Formats: sequence, structure tokens, C-alpha cells
Amino acid sequence: MAQNSAPDSTPVINTRAGDKSAGTPKITEDDEFEVTSPTNLTFRQSNSGAVPPGTALFGGSAFTEGGSQTGGSLFSRSPFQDPEGEEDEQEGELAPLPGLSAEQGLPTNYALGRRTSVSAESLNPTEAGSDSWSPPHHPKTEEQVSRLKSAVSSNFLFSHLDDDQSMTVLNALVEKPIPAKDIKVISQGDAGDYFYIVEKGNFDVYIHPSGAVQPGPDGLGNKVASIGPGGSFGELALMYNAPRAATVISTEPKSTLWALDRITFRRILMDSAFQRRRMYEAFLEEVPLLSSLKPYERSKIADALDTIKYTANSTIIHEGDPGDAFYLLESGEAEATKNGVSGPVKNYRRGDYFGELALLDDKPRQASITTKTDVKVARLGRDGFKRLLGPVEGMMRGAEYELDSKRSPVSKAA
Amino acid sequence: MVFSKINGNLHHREKQLVESLRHSPRSSNPFLITERQDEKQLCISSRSLHVNDFALVKTLGTGTFARVWLARLKDQKDKDKVYALKILRKADVIKLKQVEHVRNERKALAAVVDHPFITTLIASFSDEKCLYMLLDYCPGGEIFTYLRRQRRFSEEVSTFYAAEITMTIEFLHDVHGVAYRDLKPENILLDADGHLKLVDFGFAKQVDNRETYTLCGTPEYLAPEVIQNSGHGLAVDWWALGILIYEFLIGQPPFWDQNPMRIYEQIIEGRLRFPPNMPAAAQNIVSLLCKTNPTERLGHISGGSTRVKSHPFFQDVIWDDLFYRRVKGPIIPRLSHPADTGNFEEYPDPPDLRNTNIYTEDLKKKYEPLFSDF
Repeated sequence: MAQNSAPDSTPVINTRAGDKSAGTPKITEDDEFEVTSPTNLTFRQSNSGAVPPGTALFGGSAFTEGGSQTGGSLFSRSPFQDPEGEEDEQEGELAPLPGLSAEQGLPTNYALGRRTSVSAESLNPTEAGSDSWSPPHHPKTEEQVSRLKSAVSSNFLFSHLDDDQSMTVLNALVEKPIPAKDIKVISQGDAGDYFYIVEKGNFDVYIHPSGAVQPGPDGLGNKVASIGPGGSFGELALMYNAPRAATVISTEPKSTLWALDRITFRRILMDSAFQRRRMYEAFLEEVPLLSSLKPYERSKIADALDTIKYTANSTIIHEGDPGDAFYLLESGEAEATKNGVSGPVKNYRRGDYFGELALLDDKPRQASITTKTDVKVARLGRDGFKRLLGPVEGMMRGAEYELDSKRSPVSKAA
Repeated sequence: MVFSKINGNLHHREKQLVESLRHSPRSSNPFLITERQDEKQLCISSRSLHVNDFALVKTLGTGTFARVWLARLKDQKDKDKVYALKILRKADVIKLKQVEHVRNERKALAAVVDHPFITTLIASFSDEKCLYMLLDYCPGGEIFTYLRRQRRFSEEVSTFYAAEITMTIEFLHDVHGVAYRDLKPENILLDADGHLKLVDFGFAKQVDNRETYTLCGTPEYLAPEVIQNSGHGLAVDWWALGILIYEFLIGQPPFWDQNPMRIYEQIIEGRLRFPPNMPAAAQNIVSLLCKTNPTERLGHISGGSTRVKSHPFFQDVIWDDLFYRRVKGPIIPRLSHPADTGNFEEYPDPPDLRNTNIYTEDLKKKYEPLFSDF
């Protein structure tokens, strides 16, 4: 029976080998480490041990198997030596699975042990209007910001952020001077709360096969890499608190790091997602065509909106094109024009919407929409709408939708 | 909550209630089902049961702050009447910041009682140091054990288990608005007839149609929106069902690396690879369930769980036969008697707790009200 357990502060690196070793529970420490070191791949790929800038080293994760401290899972009924068959598995060494191969990109060295649940701190969004929390802002020079940007550009946790989120996150990084040589920034086995980017100086990375720093002169274990300016480490701490997978130590009398803690990082992502959802929901509520939807249906639509940016003087909708999507104006200004009519027939500002009748059918657009400034719109395609909520006509629940040509020249039925 | 102050009659009655539960194969205790919600809560949140009423026979599972025991009422003559008793140390729950999750777990389990494929919470109680959840004992052990032993499940076996899980998710979502959030073979047990029981509701939460943000789950099974913290809801369970079906059929989950960050990177990227011998219907349902964008995900899109159940992958499933248990499961656990624990792993004895986290007076002042549901 699996228990949820946040990773323990006691690192047990070995346990992914657990089931593999069932039946032959005596495995050496080295074997255990070989199987489960989360950093193996990273370090093996780097021949010299030097890590190119921008490579985020290990997240600091030893997988812990709460409770099963011995690593070898001892079954009273030894299921891995089932007398009724499976003779090919009795060696403890698993043959590659049929049909799986490296060329298909499936790892053949999958660790078959029981997996521990992980969990981060409970977070609740800041309600709009309440100012109980705002992200920390630590000023940086333009040069510093661009260096930090490139340092995290290859990290998927950062590369998926939009510009605003990205800026907020970079602003939240706090400078951490390391005033001397031989300072342990993080210690293998310790709880992980911060992610670090190197601004100045060099740091050495050590791994002890036991999974934690040991007392004594060789307690740090083996040096496996070094990290210079632009490098980063400890990224797993941005997900949840897992024991650090390595020790990182300063090698120069004066170095500088940038640090970001998990709660700040995840709060920034959460608050921006939360506020965007609520904003979209509020916008959608104003759309008469969608007014007969239930609130949770509108909230589903809010999830499905894609943000698209246009520069000034771009055309979002062409008059005469078949309509396939509905747009909400999130920021900026736009105007509607019609062939044969001089001047704009309507102006759009934040919270306005256009093209909503395209959710019903693909009749040609009755006007063009052009941006007057840089514009951000949220787009919902008819296909996406249908997929999510079913046929649009059915969703309207018989509500008569008043066609208001003044309000919505784009979508006016022909 | 001090034991000595408890009225002896109440104590006796509650013990009888607990005993009576074992007579019926399903949790058809009239108290739990027919009473109003608030009375039902009152009923199973026991003020008189005490850990000393139970003999702790053997550990069935462990976690960082919890241990599950095979337990028997001490004055029970029938040795086959056993329970699973989950014990959580308050100080550890607090230190690991799992207070909210533990509260959610008890709440969710109490709400979803009486589903054929969900473990039954019989009672909860607490004492100075610990929280207790008394659950029915599911003797078949983890589906995880059988899967690893057989390496992979056949299409037929995979479909059977996936169907029972689908019905369970449907029930949790549609009836209770509860997201389970930790689907994996380790959390699915087999009962004596080979049907499934979902256990461990530590991350279950009633979210209804709103979104929630706390990252939780198991690395290989985390949905992309959980990793990115963009808000997640019921759709995470459909994602995990896709991973589960894949792991049943292939023997390992689709996204894996020794470094968990690389797992998360693969999940976000969302590129599924299927071995060529994987049945087409299975490939199809997995790719529909594992859509990176939750608004495109089977189960979450229009039609909900009905669309999942009518997918060709499930075409041979007679849903009612499973729900009413008119058929036996494909794997019948070997059991010499109802209290047999041979299908569970062996766990070492509990560690010496004298030097571990202490539930101090300060902690008590701050947190005790939060544990009052138990």
C-alpha cells in the first residue's frame, strides 16, 4: 500500500533498484548508485566534466522510497520468482522489453521499483484586489537581465513562460554573494528550496555514492563537474522539495549567485495563470452569445483561449474570409472597417470581442479588423469550442441571439 | 479525545459498529450511507476508538509520515476479521507540510464511501500524537506487484483494469467533483475476487469545476499543467489514466528518465512513442488521454467519461457486469485465509521514534484544530 510521502530529508538513492534486486537482495552500494543516480546521464555526456554554460545541472533529486529503506523489497511470497513461470526474470537482470529499443527512444533501463509520490507546498491564489502577496522585485541592470535570460533559456521551466511571467521571474531572482572559497552552497541529501544561476565565479560539484554528505575528509564524494558563469543548478527545487543530489561548493574567494526559491517561482506562475483565467471569464460573461452557458462552461472556454499578439497595423480578420474563430481583445486597440465604407465602423478596446458568430457557422466575415496599436487577443476556434462543449447551437439553449450590426459588424449574418 | 474520559457505552457501540461492517462484503453499513452527511461524518469520526483496541499484526505499507498496519480488534475471536489501519504522526504531517492533504484525504474518503472499486473508510480517530484511519483490508496486494511480476499485462487484462479505473474516475469526478491526483499501479489493490480497489486518497481533493494549483502526484504520472503550475483540475486523472494504460500494456510508463527533470521535460513536450506491436485502439486512447492541452483531452472534452467508455479500446467491456461484479477479475490472488498478507511486501519494523519530530505544545496549539475532523 503506497503512502504519499513528500520526499524525506533522508536521502535513499538506492531504492529504484528495489524490485530489480528482489530475490537477490544483496546488492552493493555501487550497484545501487549506478542504477539510480538521477545525474548519471548528465554527467556521462560531459566528457571532461565541464558543463557548458546554460546547462542546468541536476535538479537535486534522489528518489526516495519512503520507508523501504533497505532497497531490496523482500516479498514474503517472492513474486519475482514465481514458480509458475517467468523464468527469464529470475536472474534479477531484466532483459530489454520486446518491441522496445533505443531507436524508438524508449529507455531500456527502466527502473522498476515502487515510485514515491511527491508534493509541493499547498498554494492558493491571491484573489484579485487583495494585495497580500506581490512577487519580490530585485533591480538588475539590463546586461544582467539579458545574461540571466540566456542562462535559463534552455530550461523548459522558463522557456514556456510568456514575456510578463518571464520578466516577473527574472526580477524575483535575488543576488547571493558567496564571500569565500569552500562554501557549500547546497549539500547532497539536504532539503532543496532554491534554484541557482552562477553570475561570477566557479563552483565544483561533488556526489557521494551514499546519497548524502558524510563526515570526514572524503565526505563530499567524487568531483563530477564544475559550473561557471551562466551555468545553473538545483532546478528540481523549483518543483518540490527533494533531497539535493549533489554538493556544490565555491572555488574562489569571491563569487556571486542568483537565487530563486520554489514558493516564489510557483506563486508567480500560479497568480498570473489565476488572474488570466478570471479576466477571460469576466470578458466572456459579457458576450451575449455565451450568456446562456453555465459558469463552469465559460471557465472551460477560458482555459481553451489561445493568446495571440499582433503588432500595430496588422489585420486580424479579413472581410470576406470564412469565419472560424472568435476573438477577445485583451490589450491594445483595434478597429473594424468595411469595403465601400469610409472610416472605421467600430472601435475595439480591452474587453471587447468580435467574430463570435463564427462559433455558429463559417459565413464570410462582414468586416476587417485591423490593429491600431500592439494588440493581444485571446482566440477561440469553432472546432475548439465544439470539441470542448459540443455543438454550439445546442449550447445556446434556445436563447435568441440578437444580431446587432452596430455591436458586431464582423459577424453579422449575410 | 482523551481515552479515559470516554463513555464506555459509546466505546462498546462503536466497536460493534466496526465489527458489524465486516459481515458484508461491501461497505453497506446503513449508518454510513443513509444518514445525512453531517451525521455520517459524526458517526465515523470516532471519539471513543483507541489504537489500544487493536492488535497491530503486520505492516502493509509505509510512507514518510504514515504506516499502514494489518490490524485486528483485540477482543475479536474470529482471526479472519481484519482491517487496514493507517497511522499518521501529527508532527511528521506538519513537518512535511501535508496537513491540508491529510485533511483532504479524510474528507474525500468519507464522501466517496460505498463505491465497489474504492477502499472503504470505516472510522477515523486520533490521539495525542497520531491520526488513524481504519480501512477495509484488501488482501490481494498491489496491482503494481502483479504488473512487475508479469512484466506486461495482456490487452484483455489491461482493458479490464482500465475499465474499472475509468468507472472509478467517472464516479469521483461526476458524483463528487473529486480529483484523485495520484493514479499509479502502486495505489491500486486487488480484492479477493480480482476486482480493483483504489487506495491512498492523500492527494484527492474536491475541486468541482475549479482549478487548483498545488503540485502533487508521482513524477512519471504528472500532467503537464501540474508541472507548469498553470492550474489543474479533474483532467489530470484522465491524463494519468493514459499513462496507466500505457504502463499496463508496455511494462513501463511512456515518459521516463533517470533524472526527474528530464521526465518533466518529456511530459511538457508530450511526444508519445508507441512500440509497433501495441494495439491500435490502445495507442489511440492513450494519445487522446495524454493530450498536452487539457482542453483537448478525452474525458475532459464534450461527452466526458461517456466518450472514454465508448472508445473502441473498451468495445468488449460490459460495464454493468464489472460494476455489479458479475464477473471475476482476470487475476485471482492466492489467499490461504482472509487475513493472509502474503501478497504484500515485507517491511522493516518501525524505526525508533524517540528522536524524531516531536508534536510540541506550540505545534499543538497551532495545528490541533485542523485535525479535529479525525
